[in-house]
Amino acid sequence: MKQDFIKFPLHLIFHPIDAFWDLKSDNRGRLFVALAALALTIIMMILQKQYAGFLVNYIDPRTINSIIEIATVAVPFFLWCMANWAVTTLMEGEGKFREIVLATGYSLIPVILVYAPMIVISRFMVQEETAFYYLFNSIAFFWFVLLLFIGMMTVHQYTVVKTIVTMVLTLIVMGIIVFLGALVFSMLQQLYEFGYNIYRELIFRT
Amino acid sequence: MARTVKRWLVLLAAVSLLLVNAVPAAASPAPYESYNYNYWKEAVPSPDAYLPKRTISGRDLGISEFKDPGDVNVSPSGLIYILDSGNNRIVVLDPEFKLLRVIDGFMTEGSKESFNLPGGLFVNEEEHIYIADTGNSRVVVLDGEGRLLHIITEPESDILSTQFQFQPLKLTVDHVGRVYVVAQGVYEGIMQFDESGTFIGYVGTNKVERDYGEYIWRMLSTKAQRAQMVLFVPTEFSNADIDPKGFVYATNIDPGSNEPIKRLNPSGEDVLKRFGYYDVKGDIRFRNNPGPSKLIDVKVLGDGMYSVLDATQNRVFTYDDEGHLLYIYGGKGNQVGTLKTPVAIEQSGEHHLVLDRGKNNLVVYEPSRFGSRVNEAVALHYRGEDTEAVNIWREVLKLNANYDIAYIGIGKSLLMEKKNEEALGYFELGMDRKSYSVAFKRHRREMMKEHFGTFLTAVIALIVILILTRVAAKWRRRRQVDREAGFH
Repeated sequence: MKQDFIKFPLHLIFHPIDAFWDLKSDNRGRLFVALAALALTIIMMILQKQYAGFLVNYIDPRTINSIIEIATVAVPFFLWCMANWAVTTLMEGEGKFREIVLATGYSLIPVILVYAPMIVISRFMVQEETAFYYLFNSIAFFWFVLLLFIGMMTVHQYTVVKTIVTMVLTLIVMGIIVFLGALVFSMLQQLYEFGYNIYRELIFRT
Repeated sequence: MARTVKRWLVLLAAVSLLLVNAVPAAASPAPYESYNYNYWKEAVPSPDAYLPKRTISGRDLGISEFKDPGDVNVSPSGLIYILDSGNNRIVVLDPEFKLLRVIDGFMTEGSKESFNLPGGLFVNEEEHIYIADTGNSRVVVLDGEGRLLHIITEPESDILSTQFQFQPLKLTVDHVGRVYVVAQGVYEGIMQFDESGTFIGYVGTNKVERDYGEYIWRMLSTKAQRAQMVLFVPTEFSNADIDPKGFVYATNIDPGSNEPIKRLNPSGEDVLKRFGYYDVKGDIRFRNNPGPSKLIDVKVLGDGMYSVLDATQNRVFTYDDEGHLLYIYGGKGNQVGTLKTPVAIEQSGEHHLVLDRGKNNLVVYEPSRFGSRVNEAVALHYRGEDTEAVNIWREVLKLNANYDIAYIGIGKSLLMEKKNEEALGYFELGMDRKSYSVAFKRHRREMMKEHFGTFLTAVIALIVILILTRVAAKWRRRRQVDREAGFH
């Protein structure tokens, strides 16, 4: 229990190359952990906006909306997983969809681990020290990107160059999915409007 | 009987009418809606800081109506000089707005000369009147009685082109007699003349804002095309005023500029403080129509405050010396208090005067309770008497609880009194992160001093306990090992 849910994720963020391989080959990853990491990341984002110290918190408190926060993290997360799966399937990636979700979810762990203490510490910072706050937040972000990169590379058994290419392609595909989604949505809306207008015509003509 | 009742009823009705008239209307007497910008750059309603009191036209003074008046100036002794450009005369009023005299020309070498569409005037401490006589290409200096002192004519200098046409529009004079002239078509800066009228040079040039898109476009085009393009020259100044320390405040009407107000030091550098939440440029939120503020006049009010007149929305914006927007009043319209084509702003005692060319009159604004309290508190803060300012700031907050500057003012005073923790709350309300940081630093150090001993004791105790448990565990383990080995 402790082994799977705490020890292995912590081992993973410090030794990603070995751990991601274990995650794939030894089936060490747990979907629950990946999704919990996603949920905690969202919670950290919300907490940061609400509770980070006054000196680093430039958010207008009237604009904080948890639903939108959830959407801004969760939607890109799943979009990434889907787009990556779509791309790597065509590019001889060995990763299954589940493994992509696991690798992406586990990569988010440093963000949680850095954000949580920084929210508390930022409340005790003065202006000159806020540089550390921004520094650690960027470290968390780059750590996440690095883990994601190693994760993708290990899960799909790619070379470095191929990983970078697929990651860029994934971002492009994410954009295409959003575009197609918006297109379909707007078409459906027009279709609905068309049907509704015909219905109204019929109602009023008879 | 019925007759008496009727008579009484009529009387009662008459009296009630009188009573109704006696009670003033409680609603806002201003024909405009005052507002101010908050930290998030939203325009939020605010109490009126200045209320229109009356207007003064030529007929009110018993002379012919003003015609396109161009400028107004109040001398240090309190006399009000209105430059009635269309009628080529100067109307002098006393501080109670009574007509003193009319100057419509001056005597020179035995003949009478008059002005030709003068654009601006300035009166100094000695009651000398400086008139920018635009149509005659000269600056005329008269004494208080209207006698000629001297004339500054078209300057001659190597740095001026041969086709240069000297058309002074506005001017201001410092206490040693140097004249700063804003002239038409001069984009090199403000023309500076010494006390004898010789041209010294320019001060304070407006910078050209670089437009990179245009820059690339220019690089790609041919020489012939480039010759057809618009030249990028700096904008001209629109007006100037001088503060008691000798700094020249100048405005320009460049619509793209974020620094349309400048405070020029003697070497011509802009030293205006801009510590507010946003740029010192009038309206910061506006639609494309009618667009950004077009500042056409500036008036230094004393105690670091200055007002600028916006010709886009016909409003007056007042700032303190740190660049905080204090209040906004005025607006477009035809009522008393709203403006048609304002051209100049002045201060006479407590009152603000705005000259309206469109309506040919002078509007007198009187500070409301809110406005005068704000002025008082800002003045006290400027003089460093923050403790006195606090009570007034608190009163301001009762009138307008959204007034951020008041929170900052109270916070700063608390900081001075070393009440750091209380100051924190006020700085947070006023969104002043810089001062908050200072207060927090001191508060944190105090807390550390007070509690560091307890903290350290707790930590040492914890470490000792930890070591003891470890030793105990080790000892027990060894005992067990020994027992298994049969030593006991």
